[in-house]
Amino acid sequence: MHYVFRRLLSLLPVLALVLVVVFSLSRAIPGDPAIALLGPGASNEQIAALRAQLQLDAPAPGQFLSYLAGLAHGDLGTSLKSGRPVASEILERLPATLELSAAAMLIALALGVPAGVWAALRHNSGIDHAIRVLSLCGVSMPAFLLALILQLVFSIELGWLPISGRLSPYIVSEPMTGFALLDGILAGHPDESWDALRHLLLPACVLAAFLAATVARFVRNAMIEVMGEDFIRTARAKGLGEQAVVFGHGLRNALLPALTVLGLSFAEMLGGAILTETVFSWPGIGRLMFDAIRNRDYPVIQGATLVFALLFVLTSLAVDLLYGVLDPRLRRKMR
Amino acid sequence: MGLEVRQFACCLALCMAWLVSLTAAAASPRSDPRESLVVAVSNDPASLDPARNAAEPIGSEMIVNIFDTLVAWTAPGFSTLEGRLASGWQMAPDARSLTLQLRSGVRFHDGTQLDAQAVKFSIERTRELNPYMQASFGAIASITVTDPLTLTIALRQPMPMFLSLLAQPQAAIVSPAAVRKWGARFGDHPVGTGPFVFRSYKADTSVVLERNPRYFRGPSKLQRVIYRVIPDASTRRLELKYGGVDVGQQAGQLASIPADDIASFNKDGKVRVLQVPSQIIRQLEFNNSAAGSPVRDLRVRQAMAYAVDYEGLVKGVLGGLAQRVYGPLPSSSWAFDPAMKQRAFHYDPARSRQLLAAAGYQPGSLKLTLHTYQGSIWASVATFLQANFADVGIAVTVQQSEFPQFRALQTAGQFDIALDGRQPWYNDPDAHVTIGYLSTLADTAMTFRMPRDAALDGLILRAQGSSVPDERKALYYRLQQQLADRVPAIYLFSNDIIVFVRSNVKGIVVNSAPPLNEYWGVYKDGALAEH
Repeated sequence: MHYVFRRLLSLLPVLALVLVVVFSLSRAIPGDPAIALLGPGASNEQIAALRAQLQLDAPAPGQFLSYLAGLAHGDLGTSLKSGRPVASEILERLPATLELSAAAMLIALALGVPAGVWAALRHNSGIDHAIRVLSLCGVSMPAFLLALILQLVFSIELGWLPISGRLSPYIVSEPMTGFALLDGILAGHPDESWDALRHLLLPACVLAAFLAATVARFVRNAMIEVMGEDFIRTARAKGLGEQAVVFGHGLRNALLPALTVLGLSFAEMLGGAILTETVFSWPGIGRLMFDAIRNRDYPVIQGATLVFALLFVLTSLAVDLLYGVLDPRLRRKMR
Repeated sequence: MGLEVRQFACCLALCMAWLVSLTAAAASPRSDPRESLVVAVSNDPASLDPARNAAEPIGSEMIVNIFDTLVAWTAPGFSTLEGRLASGWQMAPDARSLTLQLRSGVRFHDGTQLDAQAVKFSIERTRELNPYMQASFGAIASITVTDPLTLTIALRQPMPMFLSLLAQPQAAIVSPAAVRKWGARFGDHPVGTGPFVFRSYKADTSVVLERNPRYFRGPSKLQRVIYRVIPDASTRRLELKYGGVDVGQQAGQLASIPADDIASFNKDGKVRVLQVPSQIIRQLEFNNSAAGSPVRDLRVRQAMAYAVDYEGLVKGVLGGLAQRVYGPLPSSSWAFDPAMKQRAFHYDPARSRQLLAAAGYQPGSLKLTLHTYQGSIWASVATFLQANFADVGIAVTVQQSEFPQFRALQTAGQFDIALDGRQPWYNDPDAHVTIGYLSTLADTAMTFRMPRDAALDGLILRAQGSSVPDERKALYYRLQQQLADRVPAIYLFSNDIIVFVRSNVKGIVVNSAPPLNEYWGVYKDGALAEH
């Protein structure tokens, strides 16, 4: 507990640094929000009027201080583009990002871990080579290309899955939690959850491809190393079955390095996967951030980055704690 | 072992329960695809509040479907105005005041009555809150309500085109009761008198509108209009081709040319391509105020205008999806002078080289940077022009920038030549001419940066304020001639407005200025519905 508290405390300077850097960087982009918002044809007068209305004409340090004062009250500010609170803009999109990241994570684990284990056990065989080639493809294939291939095959040729979106446009539902899979069940409309699941599969697979390939490579290498260790020989000598040796002793140790990669990749996914979200019209954090930068929507850029930094740090803390669960030696150190 | 069996049993029971719930639970409510129109848009609306939307096209289109304006352009020509909430109007002979009579018995979606007070409230609110409208509505001196259905708008100066300003989405009439209820959040709960009632907005996902059963022009045949946010152009094309959306809106085309899409849709037959001439002008503009710039020499400007292969540009680069522009006004404008067609520059590289030599430039000695926006349409036009100029010995470097950066360069006058465009929001020559060429406005907006010229300014203001239509037209004819003599720009093309519609969608009317679709009269041909 003490460890967790100490880690949470060390978060504060990181977030403060993120705030300062993002505040100054977003203002260093040429052109200002009033120009972006008014579009071509606006006069200097109109732009000046909007700048005054948005309080962009105040000196930057003053703007920063008033932003900090707002933050202290839990107020992330108001979007310059939509005029809605930044917190609600982020919260509205966060469930979509969480849902997509979690699904991608599950798929990556389900594919990557067995593939890695299998390749390691059949080290240097045809299967090992095949898995290595596949994982190389997974790591190097651009997301938009994989997305297009999956859309062409599964949506257009086979007609199994929808091309894009998060829910069929004809479904008239009031979101409850924002998690489309859950909302259907809560509302007593499982067909809605089914529809959401069908929409989720393709983007999740695109996001998972890179991660699954990375996981497979990590698990494979770690497994090869672990399976050569003395304790594996001891376990076998004790007469343990091969399954217990591989999964109980081998994999448990080999998963540790993969966990770091997974944790960091998951944290990155929470920051939004702009390409995947764009191709599949997925309303996540990545697109919010992209549009905010294009529109010079400073409060949204700052708010989204802050939330992203927070999620990133919290995820890496969770990974560290998970280490303790998997490795009793680390648990003792954490105390 | 016992534990594992128990876990397995638990899982099995949960799965069974879920399966049972699947069969027992009710299906989710869905709208009937035959009575729903799905419209693809590239991003979220900026605001659905007429007083806060700064001419942003996606939100503006939703506004024209939720609200009504006092007047609107009549389809299909869009050159005359018809009454919407106004049943009649009289412009004073001096064009300094406008009296409007309102339709009786019209109600807002919240049940409150439309009256002259609501109109006064809406226009004054937009004038106060919308920086985009301050320049035009700033001319309103006062609004007087004379009876519940009549009001008079007094203007500070003669404005014969004032009625056309009232046809803009930003001039739509809002429910004062709803504004008082929601305050600054009215844009999240817009209430108008229009054919559709706002139902829901999901960020980056959709905006859903529902039929207004009490609409004064009669209820729409559509139960719902569902705007789907699809940011990626190729995903929009796939969705349209395979029936995921019914209409592809034109907003995304400002930066790209959908020529490939058109070819593919035309072959397919399931999607109709609607192509309508627009009031948009794309031009290469000179920095007409830049001291010491080579383009201050009229011969250099003329030489560059002769160097452009206009036909090659329209047919080759733009795939026939644009019309040639011959001068400061597009050919579709009521004030367009047909004589401009003969006067306009034509492709003559030899004449161009002669003029350059006369101006003292040897081949290769004139080097210029062509600034423009990001986006494939600008890139392909810029590189085409670059090749044309290279043919006559002018070396041009192309520099594309994001809009805010490009605007900053433009208004600061830090350029010699720029590729730019104008998309008027109201159908009047004033929208092209006054802000573009008035020399007193040179540094105040994206203009042609005209050098001080009191005579020309006087003519522009006379044309703007003249209340006699024939006289106004004659003044704009004179202006077109005078501007053409000065060669402030190389007028290139006017791109058509392209709307993609599934073949079972009928009754769609594509508006040209502003380019926004009204869906009130749209319906789906039931026999062709595939869903």
